[in-house]
Amino acid sequence: MFKSHLSLVTCAFLLLTSLTWAQSADVQLDVKKHTLANGLRILVLENHSAPVFSSIIRFNTGSVDEYPGITGSSHLLEHMLFKGTKIVGTSNYEAEVPIMARIDSLAHLAYAEQVKLQSPLNAFDSTRLKQLRQQMADAQAEQKQYIIKDEMWGTYLQNGGTALNASTGNDGTQYYVSLPKNRLELWAFLESDRMANLVLREFYSERDVVMEERRLSDENTARGRLAEATAATVNWASSYRWPVVGWMSDIQTVQREDVEQYFKSHYSPSNAVAVIVGDVNADSVFAICEKYFGKIPPQPLPRPVVTRDAPQAGERRTEVEYDASPMASICWQTPQIGHPDLPALEVAANILSNGRTSRFYKNIREKKLGTADAGADYSRYPGTFSCDISPYGDHTVQELETAVYAEIDHMKSEKVTDWELQRVRNQVDAQLWRSMDSNRGLASRIANSEIMTGDWRDFLNRSKAIKAVTADDVMRVVNKYLVKKNRSVVSIVRPEGEQPAAAAPRKNK
Amino acid sequence: MKRLISYAITLLILAAATIQAQTPPAKSIASKTIESLSKGKIELTIPHLGAGVERIVLENGLTLYFYEDHKLPLFNVTALVRCGAIYDPLERNGLSALVGGVMRSGGTKSISGDSLNILLEYIGGSLETTIGTESGSASLSVLAKDQDLGLKLLADLLRNPAFPQEKLDLAKTDLKNLIKRRNDNPNRMVSTYFSNTLYGDHPYGRILDWSSVKGLTVQDLADYHQRFFVPNGIILGISGDFNKTELLSKITQYFGDWKKSSLPLPSQPEVALTYHPGVYQVRKDINQAYLMIGELGIKRDNPDRYAIGLLNYVLGGGSFTSRLTSRVRSDEGLAYHVASSFDTYSRDYGTFAAECQTKSVTAYKATKIITEEIEKIRKEGVTEQELEDARNSIINSLVFRFDTSSKIVSNLVSLEYDGYPPDYFEKYLDSYRRVTLADIKRVAEKYLKPDQLTYIVVGKPETFEKSLSEFGKITNIEPAKPVIE
Repeated sequence: MFKSHLSLVTCAFLLLTSLTWAQSADVQLDVKKHTLANGLRILVLENHSAPVFSSIIRFNTGSVDEYPGITGSSHLLEHMLFKGTKIVGTSNYEAEVPIMARIDSLAHLAYAEQVKLQSPLNAFDSTRLKQLRQQMADAQAEQKQYIIKDEMWGTYLQNGGTALNASTGNDGTQYYVSLPKNRLELWAFLESDRMANLVLREFYSERDVVMEERRLSDENTARGRLAEATAATVNWASSYRWPVVGWMSDIQTVQREDVEQYFKSHYSPSNAVAVIVGDVNADSVFAICEKYFGKIPPQPLPRPVVTRDAPQAGERRTEVEYDASPMASICWQTPQIGHPDLPALEVAANILSNGRTSRFYKNIREKKLGTADAGADYSRYPGTFSCDISPYGDHTVQELETAVYAEIDHMKSEKVTDWELQRVRNQVDAQLWRSMDSNRGLASRIANSEIMTGDWRDFLNRSKAIKAVTADDVMRVVNKYLVKKNRSVVSIVRPEGEQPAAAAPRKNK
Repeated sequence: MKRLISYAITLLILAAATIQAQTPPAKSIASKTIESLSKGKIELTIPHLGAGVERIVLENGLTLYFYEDHKLPLFNVTALVRCGAIYDPLERNGLSALVGGVMRSGGTKSISGDSLNILLEYIGGSLETTIGTESGSASLSVLAKDQDLGLKLLADLLRNPAFPQEKLDLAKTDLKNLIKRRNDNPNRMVSTYFSNTLYGDHPYGRILDWSSVKGLTVQDLADYHQRFFVPNGIILGISGDFNKTELLSKITQYFGDWKKSSLPLPSQPEVALTYHPGVYQVRKDINQAYLMIGELGIKRDNPDRYAIGLLNYVLGGGSFTSRLTSRVRSDEGLAYHVASSFDTYSRDYGTFAAECQTKSVTAYKATKIITEEIEKIRKEGVTEQELEDARNSIINSLVFRFDTSSKIVSNLVSLEYDGYPPDYFEKYLDSYRRVTLADIKRVAEKYLKPDQLTYIVVGKPETFEKSLSEFGKITNIEPAKPVIE
């Protein structure tokens, strides 16, 4: 620390030399938009620096659009959308139809058995369920002769496709791939085909895969357990209360027709956007999309989600026992996207925990209490401002909680500094420029903005809004939202009566 | 003559047998459309020196690659430094990680780490250092208008890091926490036990312990820096919105008077090519079994690496199109993630590993299928279609490694760092094109040793439907609570 006078002088000097900030131009993007008659919005940004393009198709459908009994369906569909259509992934769709009908009726019978199993009032015969499952497996084996596995995935890969995948969230699902530039029409063919002609084949075995995914990411990690309990604690009424992957009992029992119905109502052209960024010509993209996606019939938008939580009236606390070191999530309820308070909440989160100059880093991590990370949602329906905390050494979750509240209270009574605000503004600009270097990243931002707000410029506007946030704004929103009665605290604790395994010499070979 | 004929006959018989065994794959209804839309040559420009990228070596041995690209007002530098945990003595395991962390957090002799944070965050830039197993790196990313400042800071950090005590203490606390949480995550557990079983105390397999970290001093960090951070051990890759002449004069100004080192790199401890067959069951109270199955593989200078890459792609490297995914995930619904990897990038023997996570009750079944598939591909090789598909995927996706100037530069820097010739990527395509079905068969037989496989299983063995004893002798491991006093 004795050197600090020297560093400060250097620092001040260096800062002066770099204060040319005002000169940096705003990011301008020449995004072209075309809406097909069926409502599908196509957005194109040309970037001719390499002979490739990135694509994203985003549906305005996620776990929030589901209901109890079919939770996890958006995610299950994410898997099913790679299983082929009436013409892709099958050598004989007509022959598959009766087999799938047979599997469905067996599944109904199995479902009836599963329901019986859930109540102690019913006599339950486990051999019956086993038998039905075997019959389903046999029928599926019969169907297999017609199935050409993962043809879409394989086709993309063989054509050089990278960043190939799909993801599902609470608010939306997206399907993406980056391809060499002369594979645009191949993309349009495959994507329009699965939007129009999806077949939910291998549905019941895929349920098993999803159950494994649930065990892997939600049940066997402390973070997964914490996230699931947090959502269910914060949201009493809102559909954000169930996990994106769905409740286990729903994944186990959901029927093919239910998911098919959900697909029909929610995966329509008017409920989607397609974004292409790369070495393409916008007019050609529009023409190709007219040719392939234009054929898909229009349909009304799905029912909006109207269920809302009442304002929270008191702190909520949940404990989850799990064999891992303690950690916790603290959440405050906040409004949905479009609300003018969100940029100020984002700035607050940024000042609290983004980077090594942030308040949590200086006052919690550097004091060796543990780590704390804050974040603010921009979600389709009311979301949260959250802090994830994880204590170091023998420090406790309670100590970290106290430290986090101290920082937040400080923000309530004292304005954040001009330096902090300017730091956030400068970072927003720099990040925006950096994001321009990735077709994939840009496509994602454009798609996200367009589907969530109806305006692809939203991510640019949001940057402007963040830059306009004042110290008073931050103080006001922190006082308004980050209060005890609006808070939920969910923590991971060691199972009662269990201590971590005793110290023993490690075996090294 | 006689021998020649019989050889030919054998070939014919083999060919006939192969044809019989392979019923032609069924075509989908859409296959014609897909085929017609998959035509057209894929444009690919392999980067090489002179075409945008230039390479210069300063008198002190500092090597520069740079690519002037004015499309965006960005400036990126990545420095690769010849060092790594591979050189850490066992009793100082963790030293490289600490140097990599404290170098940045501690700042330089003229600007403290905290001031560095203030400065960089204020301009929305970043400068990070890290040291891995076989390399160290420093990355700078700033807006073009801040390039001079960024370069100055980068040079200062590489040349004059301060390693203050309080930042070393903080970094140790971070490591201590990492050690403490070692057994929290089954995924981390399975890979830790896997490497440790195969490599023992070799740096590729060490388990980080507090005992080797706690005694490390700021002097140790400074000595490490002195030893390894020398201009002739560093390659800088620079891309973005700069003027070449100005850049070179700045580089000379900031790095030119840095004295080169005449010390050769220490020798790297050799991996003993030994096998540890058996089933190692590591206890953790979870509802799945985390499986990792494998053995030592090859060094990266092995010319069989291309055939091995294709072999592994078909077995479990090619995501959904691979055999393991197709059987374990798609047919049987036993796992969400199942894959194999065959490391062809390590200097010394890397590993072959197949992995998946399945509910406890199907641990045996999943293990059985994976073992069967390894045995099968070893015995039968792959089909022509599989080889073609794998080859197309690898070749046709190469364009994405060169789609921005910063990727082009960093790929070329890595080539030089790893000792590959500059025309590596040009030959890369041919190396993959030349691989035949017979090559795949040969490398499968040579490098996959089903009877030598190590099976690591994290989970609750008493909940498995059947003992895993048929895969090898079972050793039960109760994970010890990490000692962090």
